[in-house]
Amino acid sequence: MNVFTMIILGVAWFFIIFGVVSIFAFKNMYMRIMASATIDTVASFLVLLALIFISPSVGFVLRFIMLVGFMLITGPISTHVNIRSAYLSKVPLEQLRKGK
Amino acid sequence: MTALQIFLVITMALLVMAMILFFIKMIKGPTLWDRMLLLNMISAKILLFIILYAIYIESQVLLDIAISYGIISFLTMTLLSKFIMSGGREK
Repeated sequence: MNVFTMIILGVAWFFIIFGVVSIFAFKNMYMRIMASATIDTVASFLVLLALIFISPSVGFVLRFIMLVGFMLITGPISTHVNIRSAYLSKVPLEQLRKGK
Repeated sequence: MTALQIFLVITMALLVMAMILFFIKMIKGPTLWDRMLLLNMISAKILLFIILYAIYIESQVLLDIAISYGIISFLTMTLLSKFIMSGGREK
């Protein structure tokens, strides 16, 4: 079981690093929000999935399943609310169309 | 230290480095919504850090704290977005 945890944690490191890179790489705000939020959701899911395998008792497993469901529901909702408030406040989309 | 504990510590160190970089970007960030996004990312990273530390010292109480921290960060994001959409401080 420890081997599974190590492999999944090693995959999750790359997603954490790519999440940091995606914040600094893009010029447009909507692209930044999209890339970083999706990568962050996958990184959280992978870390929680890795820790399920080494949890010492049943209480840990139940709480991890609760946390996975909670993060998969609330992460995209909070990103959506953030983008909606940016769009309704008329942040321009021109940079996205020109591809700068 | 076993090999598993070394992996946990490396993951926690990566999370702390990511949080420091996010904080620098949050201070520099050009728009308000960038700062809100980075606040969301930092709270997600803190949540992961609490969970990893709970496994590291094997305490169940920290997982309950992590669940309530997640609820509070979600409420923070939605209420801040609602406040900004309604005009913020200008109205």
